[in-house]
Amino acid sequence: MAEYRAIKVEKGSGGFGGPLTIQGTEQKNKVMYITGGGVAPEILDKIVELSGLEPVNGFKTTCPEDQIALVIIDCGGTLRCGLYPKKRIPTININPVGKAGPLAQYIVEDIYVSGVKDENISLADGSAPVAAAPAEAPAEEKKEYKKISEQMAESGNANLMAKIGLGAGKVVATFNQAARDAVQTCINTLLPFMAFVSMLIGIINGTGFGDAFSKLLQPLLGNVVGLLVLGIICSIPGLSALLGPGAVISQILGGIFGAEIAAGHISPSLALVGLFALNCHAACDFIPVGLGLAEAETETVEVGVVSVMYSRFITSWIRVLLAFVFSIGMYA
Amino acid sequence: MEFLVKFASAFMGVFQLGGEQFMGWVTGIIPTILMLLVMMNAIIALIGDQRIEAIAKVCTSNPLLRYLVLPWVSAFMLGNPMALSMGKFMPEFYKPSYYASASYHCHTNSGIFPHINPAEILIYLGIANGVTQLGLDATPLALRYMLVGFIANFISGFATDFTTAFVEKQQGVKLSRTLKTHH
Repeated sequence: MAEYRAIKVEKGSGGFGGPLTIQGTEQKNKVMYITGGGVAPEILDKIVELSGLEPVNGFKTTCPEDQIALVIIDCGGTLRCGLYPKKRIPTININPVGKAGPLAQYIVEDIYVSGVKDENISLADGSAPVAAAPAEAPAEEKKEYKKISEQMAESGNANLMAKIGLGAGKVVATFNQAARDAVQTCINTLLPFMAFVSMLIGIINGTGFGDAFSKLLQPLLGNVVGLLVLGIICSIPGLSALLGPGAVISQILGGIFGAEIAAGHISPSLALVGLFALNCHAACDFIPVGLGLAEAETETVEVGVVSVMYSRFITSWIRVLLAFVFSIGMYA
Repeated sequence: MEFLVKFASAFMGVFQLGGEQFMGWVTGIIPTILMLLVMMNAIIALIGDQRIEAIAKVCTSNPLLRYLVLPWVSAFMLGNPMALSMGKFMPEFYKPSYYASASYHCHTNSGIFPHINPAEILIYLGIANGVTQLGLDATPLALRYMLVGFIANFISGFATDFTTAFVEKQQGVKLSRTLKTHH
């Protein structure tokens, strides 16, 4: 019987959140890592050694959530970094990413820590409280809010005017919340990414590197055959998982592809083909998590990760060619 | 000295170019996307998540519903990544195929419905913005992206049925083809 010790994990340079204290129990005795297409992160050894937890490779297999004491991810700031905090499972992100992505609201200090390196991990001396067990999700404030207005509506003696008022109020509140979420999305995910890719494009175009770069990419991006080859290469099983995280590479290529179209180096009639070719490998990094969302069993995840990568590879050329056929007559 | 001045202005020029690109995106893309996001968020909140679960249960019976209708409806209503969770209504064998299709649906509809996957939308917007800068309308591109997506994503989902069967044999396991009744 293994002995479980509490470990303390602090944020690394540029990181966010924490410190977390992780204590394995007989039931919660696994540390799952979903990093680099199945490559174990550097910090895993130290965590296993100190805590006594059993490592599980999330790309190869999965295990029931109630056995997971800790999840290690390498998310660039889109999805994974919020998924496990949302389920209140303590999460280490080895990338220094803070509150980001569509699930940013769930990324809070007591369940999430990022930018973690070996030196940030130590045995807990008992000073920090043990991280909350993920059994109970915190009560949602929004729900209570709704209940109050619903109670008012159900209280019987509400006259017609009050009913109309409440109905209108609910619609207005819904739209207001929708607007708040939309602005958050822009601030949390859209603007940072635009700034990042803009700076890259600035460097590419401003240094004269751009001309050399377009000449280099021209044979690949500038014609259908090149795009077809690009699509097939990007979807090679294994490589596809490495290229996936946050669709960062696809988004950079999309930005560059668009800038090249605007500059007249690439014909706009290739835009649709480009859209499909640059993204053949979509979501190959996300398969275990996505299947987990679908409540798949362990064997299904083991089979599914390989199967989806194969099918991406097999169908990539079909997708690019379909896009080519359906581009006929567009921006001709 | 002359060299230093030249170097400094070239250095600043890089960031000015980047800034121009950024301003172009912010003023050209953000306002429309923001309005669309507000509307879509509100529609989804008013319809509610529960209704789509009812649809999901009906959609497991044949490939066209499984890899075309359900992934699209789920992507539209739930967005990325929760659209992938609708796979839970499938028998185990079909879950990878549903994933293959639904995850693509979280991209190919981006042109017309940016609320589905705002975090990864720059793939589409980057390219579409290039087209717009030439003075062309990006709508045909958005529409064709979605329509070709219907066909291509269905093929990708359906093809995964075969690769799953292949990998099953490789790994020597057999996944359940029927939906478990217990919950």
